[in-house]
Amino acid sequence: MSFPTRSLASCSSSRHLRLLQRVLRSPHRYFSAAPASSKLELPPESEWRKYFPPALQVNHRVSLRNAETAAKLADAFVPEGSEGKVILEAFPGPGQLSRALLNLPKNRIKKIIILEDWEPYLEYLKPLQKADSRVIVVGRDGYNWDSYQLISELGLLDDVPKLGWDQGVHPQLQFISHLPSTVNGEQLISQLLRTVPEHQWLFQYGRVPLSFLLSEHVYNRVTATIDDPSARCKVSIIAEASAHITSALPSSVLNPFDQHFHPVTSAHAKAADLKRSSRAVGLPFQSMNLVPRQHQLIRKGQTDAWDYCLRRLFVRKATELRTALPGLAPGAQILLKKVTDPALPDSERLDVRKKVNKLQAHEWAILLKAFDEWPFKPEDLTIGDFMIRSKNA
Amino acid sequence: MIPRAVSRLETTLLSSRQSLPRPARLYSTPSKKANAPALATVQVLQPDYPSFLHQPQAEKPLESRKVSLENELANFLQRSAPYTILPTPLPSDRSSPVNDMFYPDSTTQDLLSVMDACLHNLYDLPRAKGIFERLRAKPGNPALSTRVYNAFLEAYLTIASTRGPKDVFLEYTWELYEALESGREKFVPDATTYSLMLIAHHRFHEDSQDSAFTTSSPSHILSRIVDRDIPIASVVSDRTMTSSKEAVEIIKLLSQTAMQLNMPRIISELGHAEAIGAQISDTLDNVPEATPVMRVKKNSDSVDEDVEMEIPFNIDNLRRHLAEVTMARRMLSDDVAARQKLLEESVYDVAIERLKHQSDLFSELGLGNNALRGADLQRWMWDWHKKLKTRLDTEIKNIAQSELKAKRTETLFSPYLSLVQAERLSLITILEIMRLQGSGGIYDGMKTTRALVALGRAVEIEYKSQICKAHKIYVPTAPRLGDAGYFSNMGYRSLMQRRVAAAKVMTDGEGWTAEWTQHVRSKIGGILVECLMDVAEVTRVGVNKEGKEISEVQPAFYHTYEYMRGQKLGVIRLNPIVADRLAKDRLNDTLHPRHLPMLVKPKPWLGHDSGGYLYNKTSAMRFKDSAEQRSYLKHASAAGNVELVYAGLDVLGSTPWQINKKVFDVVLEVWNRGDRVGKLPPAVYDSPEPEAPENVETDIKAKSIYMQRQKSHNANKANNHSERCNVNYKIEIARAFLGETIYLPHNLDFRGRAYPIPPHLNHIGDDLSRGLLKFGEAKPLGERGLRWLKIHLANLHGFDKASFDERVEFVMERMPEVYDSATNPLNGRRWWLKADDPWQCLATCMELHEVLESEDPHAFMSALPVHQDGTCNGLQHYAALGGDDRGAQQVNLAAGDRPSDVYTHVGNMVERVLEEDAKKGEKYAIMLQGKISRKVVKQTVMTTVYGVTFVGARDQIERQLKDKKAIPEEECWKAASYLASKTILCIGNLFSGATAIQNWLSCCARLISKSIPQERLPEAMAEIKRSSKTPRKKFTLSDTRLKKEQMTSVVWTTPLGLPIVQPYRKANRKQVQTSLQTVYISDPNSPAEGKFNSLKQASAFPPNFIHSLDATHMMLTALECRTQDLTFASVHDSYWTHASSIDKMSEIIRDTFIALHSSDVLKKLESEFRERYRDYKVPLTSLKAGRLMKELHDLGARLVVTPGQAKTLGALQEFLVISETGQTTTIDESEAQRALELSEEVDACAEVEAAVEDEDFEFDEEAISHAARQKTKLQTEKAMRQLMGKFVNVTDLLPPLPEKGKFNVESIKNSQYFFS
Repeated sequence: MSFPTRSLASCSSSRHLRLLQRVLRSPHRYFSAAPASSKLELPPESEWRKYFPPALQVNHRVSLRNAETAAKLADAFVPEGSEGKVILEAFPGPGQLSRALLNLPKNRIKKIIILEDWEPYLEYLKPLQKADSRVIVVGRDGYNWDSYQLISELGLLDDVPKLGWDQGVHPQLQFISHLPSTVNGEQLISQLLRTVPEHQWLFQYGRVPLSFLLSEHVYNRVTATIDDPSARCKVSIIAEASAHITSALPSSVLNPFDQHFHPVTSAHAKAADLKRSSRAVGLPFQSMNLVPRQHQLIRKGQTDAWDYCLRRLFVRKATELRTALPGLAPGAQILLKKVTDPALPDSERLDVRKKVNKLQAHEWAILLKAFDEWPFKPEDLTIGDFMIRSKNA
Repeated sequence: MIPRAVSRLETTLLSSRQSLPRPARLYSTPSKKANAPALATVQVLQPDYPSFLHQPQAEKPLESRKVSLENELANFLQRSAPYTILPTPLPSDRSSPVNDMFYPDSTTQDLLSVMDACLHNLYDLPRAKGIFERLRAKPGNPALSTRVYNAFLEAYLTIASTRGPKDVFLEYTWELYEALESGREKFVPDATTYSLMLIAHHRFHEDSQDSAFTTSSPSHILSRIVDRDIPIASVVSDRTMTSSKEAVEIIKLLSQTAMQLNMPRIISELGHAEAIGAQISDTLDNVPEATPVMRVKKNSDSVDEDVEMEIPFNIDNLRRHLAEVTMARRMLSDDVAARQKLLEESVYDVAIERLKHQSDLFSELGLGNNALRGADLQRWMWDWHKKLKTRLDTEIKNIAQSELKAKRTETLFSPYLSLVQAERLSLITILEIMRLQGSGGIYDGMKTTRALVALGRAVEIEYKSQICKAHKIYVPTAPRLGDAGYFSNMGYRSLMQRRVAAAKVMTDGEGWTAEWTQHVRSKIGGILVECLMDVAEVTRVGVNKEGKEISEVQPAFYHTYEYMRGQKLGVIRLNPIVADRLAKDRLNDTLHPRHLPMLVKPKPWLGHDSGGYLYNKTSAMRFKDSAEQRSYLKHASAAGNVELVYAGLDVLGSTPWQINKKVFDVVLEVWNRGDRVGKLPPAVYDSPEPEAPENVETDIKAKSIYMQRQKSHNANKANNHSERCNVNYKIEIARAFLGETIYLPHNLDFRGRAYPIPPHLNHIGDDLSRGLLKFGEAKPLGERGLRWLKIHLANLHGFDKASFDERVEFVMERMPEVYDSATNPLNGRRWWLKADDPWQCLATCMELHEVLESEDPHAFMSALPVHQDGTCNGLQHYAALGGDDRGAQQVNLAAGDRPSDVYTHVGNMVERVLEEDAKKGEKYAIMLQGKISRKVVKQTVMTTVYGVTFVGARDQIERQLKDKKAIPEEECWKAASYLASKTILCIGNLFSGATAIQNWLSCCARLISKSIPQERLPEAMAEIKRSSKTPRKKFTLSDTRLKKEQMTSVVWTTPLGLPIVQPYRKANRKQVQTSLQTVYISDPNSPAEGKFNSLKQASAFPPNFIHSLDATHMMLTALECRTQDLTFASVHDSYWTHASSIDKMSEIIRDTFIALHSSDVLKKLESEFRERYRDYKVPLTSLKAGRLMKELHDLGARLVVTPGQAKTLGALQEFLVISETGQTTTIDESEAQRALELSEEVDACAEVEAAVEDEDFEFDEEAISHAARQKTKLQTEKAMRQLMGKFVNVTDLLPPLPEKGKFNVESIKNSQYFFS
């Protein structure tokens, strides 16, 4: 798992200790008790732009603005029947959804830990903590692993039981997040998915469900099946292999964007943004619930191999597997024989004439099994930095 | 075209030759072989040189050069160098005849090359003829030349003589000749044409009664030859005369005809030609460099027996003699050139032999059966070669078969593949792919695009070198300096005349070949690589899960795709075990000689693509896909503007080198031990793998850190491997050339800087390469030499900031260490390893030890190069340009008792800034305080002159901070950002003069790149465009066309006359479907619009200009060193010579520098711009772009206008000066009227649509701000419209030159540390 540049910068343990001490020494910075009761209420929905003006850091962070929709969504994320939930909420924005969650029947939610580091938003979140003892605001960024480590080191999850993978869906712990419409946002969800088979991150606690509010573009990529080959990608397959995903609310409830979300940009700016990328703010949004599968296609310790194969083969995603496979590693065409071995039962054989983006997760598992058993698979499965650092540059 | 003066020279030479009667019979043909020992002592008669030409024996260092240097050099530099001016290329969607002439397009080039390929060996004459006819349809087609016509005449004649049908092809021959002779196709016959027609007549006149042949009778041909003033000797010695027998008969025939026509001059010339042809060729003359290095048995050239003549007439003798006389140069004797020739000609044959031999050896030893144990590169390569050869044979046949049905318009590839035999193609493929391994920064592989193009090019080069070989071209020896020197008018003219004459002989001898396009190269490369990947296999052994040993046959190379910065990139990779071997095995014969040093002095540069290696075509300049640069060099070369550049390259190429055996022995020992010593990478990477933390399974953060470390470990390991491969090449080359005298041919980059062409082992390379090389000649050291040797040692060890005396002292104090290093380099105290440049330091220790141990140290013959380096050479040039006193002090232009060190100075300045910031509590200032060594800022100071950006500076500093490990690694990046900004600030303060010049240069470049040639103005007009992107299709005024027409690049001429063209254009990529993958190749022949390059043109101009100056300084120094008989080599701003010559060279360095900067370089640049861009106009709208106007304004440029104009040019208000007198800058408004009409039209449309506008906005503020924005937008648009269609001359906008300071360059004479 790599969070480029940032994670390494924070790696020194002495520094981390210092940080932790600082956190503990000055709690108000993180558990704000500032007298800001006036900001307990959010500003009128139509005036959010005034209260939360554009800023580079948050321009691509979409937040739910419409209170009514927020209520519907909270109910969809934490439906009736939930009991004593501990919610970890990342990227809440000014907190419309957080408020809706708190407004659910009290028995449903025991605790909400909120991760947010943008000061203008924090000003509207801190009052919640003061008003409701169930709320803890941690002024950190949901994108950084350190934040989660901090939460566990602060003991905020000490009351959550660690369950075995076969003990069902975790009844208490749940992660809820707006997903930033940036590269980092996409990277985040893909990395979170990869922690499922390895039982890392929150999945140390068992099969913890996740809920997301995310752009349709990413939603489509995560949920793409083989029937949507153009959206089908590495993330879709990891998601298919590791989790069961459902849409939380029909998209008609969340759209059009401008009625439900912040920020609303002028048609002008939107058009300009659209020209640049599919991540433009203003494009439709979706919501989803994600529950880790009990039976994981990706075995523990295999994620790197999956990652390697998916990435290498998806470079030629519209090519038939038999053509693309030699590019996987030197001599990899021998795997063709292995996965088409007539001695194998049907369920363990592959149709290698299928295109790479037409393979289903269980088919990938067959390929990965062969790959894993192959004595000549590359030792170094990390991809990306295949460039030699130029010496004289 | 050969200039008039030269053809005159040719004639003179021939007649002067005639005035020396010399009966042929005086010489007898030796019956012994030329390498018989007795002959070595025989005084062989020299061919006579015309008296005005310089005799080899007379070459002595000239006395009193000093005086002449000062005058001639100064005069030379004072003259304004002749400009090479070509039209600016047109945008790719426009064309004109002039444009086609200078910038031929790829389609034509493809036609030419396929025509060439079809013509070769008469592979497909009908198709070749078809293309030719099409091209001929346009009279004077710039793609064609008389040489092409001749190539066809030759082909027709060959067919007529062999398989026929005779009549048809003779008819063709006649038709073509007639077309030439009549001149209706704008080409005229030359010596080759007549030679061919004479051959035709000679072969066919008897059995043909066709009337056509009466017209092409000898008398007709002879009179045409005489009319056209073509020397008869060059006709009868033309390369197309392949048989001596035929030649002598034709000579006889011509003599008879001349007799009939009463042409006594011709008769006598023919007589002499015949006599010369019957002379022995003097292969063993006593020209110094002609001492044979090694004799190789002579090629048994077919000498036609003629019983009637006692001494057989040999056409080769005649040709050789004529070449010598024409070029006024000695030809390389066959023996001397033999090894180099053999090396270049037969590299592939030799490689095949060697591989086969190795393989046989293995089977003899009984290793053949156990392929796994005996596996090594050589055996693999032999195996692949055998398979690939067969595979290619079939493949090529298949392609030819399928192309039989191809349509006329389709591109064919089988003709290209037929040019070189399958056996060679196979080896070329294997060797090229192995060579490219690790290129492009890819570990264990290479980018597909690059590999395919390189491979295609290798095939092309091989084909051309075969042609050269087939035609037996005589290679002239390195040129000699005439009495007149390089810089006098006479000297210059004589250089040019000789070069042009030689170039003509060479091109006449080579016959015609066409250049391939990138498209063809990549296609051919694709076919070859695909076949290779199909057949090349290796066997790998591994262990499976059950612990059983398993072997698997795998491809040796495989093709894959990677994502690099979001771009999908095709890559060819090596199987890991092959890559592994490349770092270990010996690499015999895996390199083509065009990547190796030469065994003889390089062929002198005779033209832009002729020089260096004997048979392999090399360009005198390295272009990066720029047809423009090529065209400029070609024309400058043809106009004789760059003689001294060629001469300089010849000087650099003729410096002899040898391998330093003593150092080599140490290197080899270290290599074989596999240790990490003196920057040699170890055989096994020696850093431990990072350890996995315990909680790596669950702790995601711990894992991510671990992965990061693992990644960086793997990257370092890969680096180590690729370094190991590099060093392996160097050692292998050094081993191969032990005991030889070698030469490094040089060519230029586009700024005129010289580089050795062999890439692996050369003196410009790393410390190891430099340590392995020393001069090929030794010179007595002398007292001063000994002192310089010591100073050199101190410099190499890093003690180079003290005064000379202190440096000598430094070495004297460490003499025991020096001795220890020299005598016991690896097992002693290893003092040399602490040096900045360990291997060079070791070499010097060894030399010094030997000197001091010798009987008479001052008489010691030393061959070690000693360096003199400029102190921050770029800044030296800036300081001299600007007469900047303060800067001059810092970079040792002004005399001082000790060398001043600009890096330390800047370092101290930064420290002072830090101190102040630290007081303010700035975190990083406190952290970095006291840690700023000169090393931290050095690279940044050095590169600011070359326009380093903040980002670049930050990265440099970050690297230094990381290496120093003075602050925690995670803080380095931020600390580096902070430090970089402070450093740049300090440099700016210190070198304000340089900054001013930089600004001026880059402003000029911006203006130029925005300009448009006057004749393009009507095309470049604004246009109305209906935008399809906005929903309601608004009409807007568009300047797309205008921007497309802004194609002008910055071009300038160096004081040596070299035109320098900045190439930065947006590449126009073309998709090419190869057998392997689709590649995108930029097409150099299609100049893409200069749309995005204006900034690059501007930011690159100052550093490029300074580089062109330092290159000029180097060349001047090289030429002058040659004049004064010093050995010279250079690494840009580091000049090398023998220790004993340092004093002399130092003087030359200073004299040339002073002369260069006394010629008012900037002033000249300005006047060149005024001349070159006289008819270029800048659209006024472009002035509004970015900060251009402000910068121009700050530099003092103004637009002088009438009060009336001022009103309409509101947008440029601050830029205007209202003229009282009526004297104004000319503003070209010829297109303004049309622009106005267009804009009114747009307004009309806009009004109609405006009614439908305005609803869109939900929020009030938005609407308000939108309206406000709209308003300002309208205002600017209105202002812009007033500027549209108005242009002003570039030259009127050029800002005045920054004022020059009072520093006098003459005072450099007294600065001992200027270069030190």
